[in-house]
Amino acid sequence: MAACSIANIVKSSLGPVGLDKMLVDDIGDVTVTNDGATILRLLEVEHPAARVLVELAQLQDEEVGDGTTSVVIVAAELLKNADELVKQKIHPTSIISGYRLACKEACKYIQEHLTVSVEELGRECLVNVAKTSMSSKLIGPDADFFSNMVVDAAHAVKFSDGKGGFTYPVKAVNVLKAHGRSARESVLVAGYALNCTVASQAMPKRISNAKIACLDFSLQKAKMKLGVKVLITDPEKLEGIRQRESDMTKERIQKILAAGANVILCTGGIDDLCLKYFVEAGAMAVRRCKKADAKRIAIATGAAFLPSLSNMEGEDSFDANSIGEAAEVVQEVVCDDELILIKGPKARTASSIILRGPNDFYCDEMERSIHDALCVVKRVLESKSVVAGGGSVEAALSVYLENFATSLSSREQLAIAEFARSLLVIPKTLAVNAAQDATDLVAKLRAYHNSSQTKVDHAHFKWVGLDLHEGIVRDNRKAGVLEPAVSKIKSLKFATEAAITILRIDDMIRLDPEQKDKSYRDAYESGEL
Amino acid sequence: MFGGGAAPILVLSQNTKRDSGRKVQLENIAAGKAIADVIRTCLGPQAMLKMLMDPSGGIVMTNDGNAILREITVQHPAGKSMIEIARTQDEEVGDGTTSVIVLAGEMLGVAEQFLTQQMHPTVIIRAYRQALEDAVTLLQDNISIALDLNDRVKLLEVIKSCVGTKFIGRWSDLACSIALDAVKTVMLEENGHREIDIKRYAKVEKVPGGSIEESSVLRGVMVSKDVTHPKMRRYIKNPRIVLLDCTLEYKKGESQTNVEILKESDFTRILQLEEEHIQKICEEVIAVKPDVVFTEKGVSDLAQHFLLKAGITAIRRVRKTDNNRIARACGATIVNRTEELKEEDVGTGAGLFEIRKLGDEYFCFITECKNPKACTILLRGASKDMLNEAERNLQDALHVARNILIEPKLVPGGGAVEMAVAQMLAEKGKTVQGIGQWPYRAVAEALEIIPRTLIQNCGANTVRTLTALRAKHATGGKTWGINGETGELADMCALGIWEPLSVKLQTYKTAVETAILLLRIDDIVSGSKKKDKEGETRTAQPTEESVKE
Repeated sequence: MAACSIANIVKSSLGPVGLDKMLVDDIGDVTVTNDGATILRLLEVEHPAARVLVELAQLQDEEVGDGTTSVVIVAAELLKNADELVKQKIHPTSIISGYRLACKEACKYIQEHLTVSVEELGRECLVNVAKTSMSSKLIGPDADFFSNMVVDAAHAVKFSDGKGGFTYPVKAVNVLKAHGRSARESVLVAGYALNCTVASQAMPKRISNAKIACLDFSLQKAKMKLGVKVLITDPEKLEGIRQRESDMTKERIQKILAAGANVILCTGGIDDLCLKYFVEAGAMAVRRCKKADAKRIAIATGAAFLPSLSNMEGEDSFDANSIGEAAEVVQEVVCDDELILIKGPKARTASSIILRGPNDFYCDEMERSIHDALCVVKRVLESKSVVAGGGSVEAALSVYLENFATSLSSREQLAIAEFARSLLVIPKTLAVNAAQDATDLVAKLRAYHNSSQTKVDHAHFKWVGLDLHEGIVRDNRKAGVLEPAVSKIKSLKFATEAAITILRIDDMIRLDPEQKDKSYRDAYESGEL
Repeated sequence: MFGGGAAPILVLSQNTKRDSGRKVQLENIAAGKAIADVIRTCLGPQAMLKMLMDPSGGIVMTNDGNAILREITVQHPAGKSMIEIARTQDEEVGDGTTSVIVLAGEMLGVAEQFLTQQMHPTVIIRAYRQALEDAVTLLQDNISIALDLNDRVKLLEVIKSCVGTKFIGRWSDLACSIALDAVKTVMLEENGHREIDIKRYAKVEKVPGGSIEESSVLRGVMVSKDVTHPKMRRYIKNPRIVLLDCTLEYKKGESQTNVEILKESDFTRILQLEEEHIQKICEEVIAVKPDVVFTEKGVSDLAQHFLLKAGITAIRRVRKTDNNRIARACGATIVNRTEELKEEDVGTGAGLFEIRKLGDEYFCFITECKNPKACTILLRGASKDMLNEAERNLQDALHVARNILIEPKLVPGGGAVEMAVAQMLAEKGKTVQGIGQWPYRAVAEALEIIPRTLIQNCGANTVRTLTALRAKHATGGKTWGINGETGELADMCALGIWEPLSVKLQTYKTAVETAILLLRIDDIVSGSKKKDKEGETRTAQPTEESVKE
């Protein structure tokens, strides 16, 4: 029951015509979202069984990045149907083994029959996959625009792993939010956007052929650490120490500048007194940029991320090799803020997306949607196979598993049949959300899939899925409603595992927190004594 | 659709939550409209001010949409997101905060009827998006007019129509020229890229006393500081200015330094050293022969003495931002270590340094700069509240001026552009396929709220005037709008009411996108509701477990 109530919460956010939730926390902060994992995370669920589902959504989010809502719905449906079976006096263990078997068969069937390789479809396919992921989100109407942006961004961070394969680290795409303008005016920057400003206004705002140095220490007046004291007996030397303090940083800066750097990114602070040297050298210095940002910039531009200037001999030095290069570094005004854009880094391509929107909630939700879409594109690029969306896979699996169940003579048959029935919840919910006739549509869908599996010449019907705007069934592969196969397989597996975990429970002991008042009384008494 | 019972089989048990789907949407709409109603009367030239009192008793008097909404505490989450958009508008373009709220409220309002007619929100949203896009292209291609930036009269006219709706409207000529001059001063042309940083380089200084007519833009910078020593010179022509951001005092080292004194003479030696140090610093400053020294930190008495002897005026504890402005105005470089002072670091761009007494305080003026890239706007006025409102208005005017200079395109104001867009959208709406047609045309209808509110605010007959205006537009009078003073129809071209295109574009985009955001929501889970639900699940839980056994 707990699982069902969780599923009910996220149900209406599934599918291209799903709607959003507005979550208000205790302080009054508002989050508007459509992402299942985000909704559940913010709900602070207490019930243990429901927790399992919440964690399930989180897991899906980490592993695949998309499909969080559907995984929760499937898991809840599996549980509900299992409950029916338990009522018929079937032991949970046989249900569990049935579910396991069904899941295994389903995954096998997806891989063997329902996938399409990306090579067949090319870039358009990637765009379609991103579009499918976005269609249910706030940016759905602008999916054309954003999906291209996401695919470009994913391509930009492509990175060879040295074994002929490629990885697409989604984290390397930096997503920045700035309110103002409209969603359409979000931009993809070929390079890295940094939410910092130059340290002094007198510095140049634009440097072409930038030479970048990334430092992980402060350029501040030298100071002894941990209360080390300097003892002086000769008052004349007092002045010397002060002098030395200022000179040390100056020398460091001079070394960096002498190596040819003209953009200095510093994760620590830069003293005002040091700024002048940068200004005079016509260099940009950025203070307090985030460590993660600086690291990524270092990778992208080929710079070394230096924790200190000292070399092996303990002397301060700055090597020209540790300077990274980029075509241009510009500071631009976006909204009321300023951003530093590092365009055209030399070593590796990087990309950043600057999102615009009317207010913070909108931008936050856009960020989540973009992240999901990026993850999906990444999965497709890495696994190179997609399946048709819109409930098509679920319907096909359901038909297949039902046939499979009848071929078994053991107790598992019932469980597998239930599994098959549970999968139908996805097309059903999709149809319900779109205010279409769910019974009718799902029946039609099943009919198509049945004929595709039984008759050889109708094999192309296996791509048939729902069109929720018109309320008909159609070939979703042609229509470009695609999802990564990995996402589908993983979500099936996770949902089954979660259902099994909960099914195995037959007893629950809740540990109440220990009563505090006794110790309190002790303290009180001792205090009184 | 939402728990409306349209779906025949709902496999999952329906709980009350889903039933609240449509209720939530209608609530959101109501919240949006309520916010819009608060500031509706602040639109247009006949706008009224609002007086807001905060819990501590402070008073804000304004008709700036953003300023009003910022002060109001709103409970409803949808209302909060409405308030956010006023802020966005303010940050992005600086003007049109009232109209964006009014428009967003109306966009939500017109959607209400479709929701009650069981139309799916995504259909409405799609149509809204489509309409927004068409409106934006229409604005850009058909309605906007390019402007010649050298045409000062025209530029002033545009700023005037912005200022006209505000409190300082009575001094609009003055305010317009102030805004335009200030923005032109701080404008920097950098390889085709125009940069206008009002926030940093155009500072508004409010000095109570005098009258608004005495406000002006200085060709230079003003700081509210006095000289450190009363005998220093207070009037210098063509001063040589040195800017420091270090102290002219003795400063200890950063590391902990202990001095062990063994002899008595050592003690005096230390004191002597400190004095020598100050003397050395001062000598270094004096070596470049400045007339004025500004420092961000302190100046010790001893240093004052040395500087005074050399005939140098010193000003201490200047703010960093002020120092930056002075640097831009007179061409000096801010120096940190006195031993690095060079001839190039001295600023010679200023024509006059002067300490003047305004009211009860002394102010330091650096004016008559040759090529100032920063300026101070000196605002005078009777009371502090008045000055605050005048400053807000002036900020709006500055932003408008900036927007035109960056994107020199104009649209007619006074509701004319809304009417024109509405007309064209309604025409286009006829060709839209499917049920999306109605929400599409609703957007056109919603746009009419701007002229309607204008008419309302000047007390004219809404229905009659609006119908007349619609008729005018239908017969090709694209630039006709409402004369906000009288409530009559007027040709905006003849009246000279213009608005920058960028403001209008931003208003439309923000309003429609916010409406979209709020329409998509079908469920609100708030902190209090959270507990209820958990109570629900907890009661449900034992049954579940018992069933499994």
